[in-house]
Amino acid sequence: MSTKNAGLAHKLGYSNVRVYLDGEPKWIEEGYVTDASDQFVKTGNIVLIDLREGDAPREGRIPRSVQVPYEELEARSKDIPRNAPIVVYGANDEDVQDAIDDLHDDGYRYVSKVTGNWTGWLKKGNPVESGPIFSNEISWVRKLGPGEVSVAEFRAATEGKYPDVFIIDARTPEEIKERGIFQNTVNIPLDMIAKSFSKIPKDKRNAGFLSLLHPMQKDDL
Amino acid sequence: MNRHHFVKCLPAAIMVALLSYGCAQQSQMPPTAAKPAVEQEAKKAAMKYTGKIVGKSNKAKVVSVAVGKGAAKKVVMVKFDEATKGIKFAKKGTAAIIFWEQRGADKYATVIKPKLAKLPAGVTEIKTEELAELLENNTALTLADARPIARYHKGHLPGAVSIPVPALKKKKAALLPKDKDELLIFYCGGPT
Repeated sequence: MSTKNAGLAHKLGYSNVRVYLDGEPKWIEEGYVTDASDQFVKTGNIVLIDLREGDAPREGRIPRSVQVPYEELEARSKDIPRNAPIVVYGANDEDVQDAIDDLHDDGYRYVSKVTGNWTGWLKKGNPVESGPIFSNEISWVRKLGPGEVSVAEFRAATEGKYPDVFIIDARTPEEIKERGIFQNTVNIPLDMIAKSFSKIPKDKRNAGFLSLLHPMQKDDL
Repeated sequence: MNRHHFVKCLPAAIMVALLSYGCAQQSQMPPTAAKPAVEQEAKKAAMKYTGKIVGKSNKAKVVSVAVGKGAAKKVVMVKFDEATKGIKFAKKGTAAIIFWEQRGADKYATVIKPKLAKLPAGVTEIKTEELAELLENNTALTLADARPIARYHKGHLPGAVSIPVPALKKKKAALLPKDKDELLIFYCGGPT
């Protein structure tokens, strides 16, 4: 927390301490860009976009990048999930700013630029790749969080393929009436769960595999 | 794209709450709020939870809020109804103070207030416009990102260095500029 750090610094004798309370969300909201760290560009689970046109990427590009010139950005966005972290670089800062603005407007939540842009990346001696580009495909897959279940696993569980799994559908009875319910699930509305522990078998794989469905339609599977 | 509906699933929401990234810290909370509600508490006029709102279901009419610190960290649920004041402050991702009362087996929110960040003594606030101008003019300053380092890697204000709270507590001035009179600006993930 920034105020905590500011207080600590003040106690350590720093005389000119200020806090940007509105923080990073406001910075982005106001249309300013943020920088991804080089480490994140090298190893993060990201979509790395090279905005430069023509042969520039053939002559040198950041490994794992995909060439998407600004004009093609809108058309290519169908390949990029809205929750994917996107990092952008290009021939100049204006292109990068425009691309980031467009992506934000388009509903992308995590968009940043390569620190120092392409020239900055080069100057720092970071890894560069050159030569022919064999694939310009964007295939970003979100990594599952701890305790999270993949769609495939969930489907298998509703098909009864994991007999040791107990699935709770946490929607309200009205929602279930409206949209139906999956097989092999038990409806315990969200607000009732704390009172319904006796209904949840203890010998099943609840820990780490307890799926609580929330607003979700059958179309999702 | 379908996959991202899963984000709405409760386990994910709870996990995210437990990871507690950003600025959400329950450190300023009275220690009593971290303890589970017991029978006696119900007798008191106003009980409260202070913490980050991790979810709100208008269908189930329930707000979930992350309370407690460290091992005692958990998500509690409080119901709300038409009589609840300030329900607009139960905004996901922001910090709030929820006053509640026990009605039968349920806790009902009576008043919800936003939890505003308090500035420590001797420290002033800076707004976006002024900060942007200072950065634009290459003013001599240190801009420090107080969020966990993973958040910093993902995207930080231009020129910022990473100084998460636990790091500063441990290493103190070693992480800060030598000149104690130079402008030092901290930021994080918003006033949560």
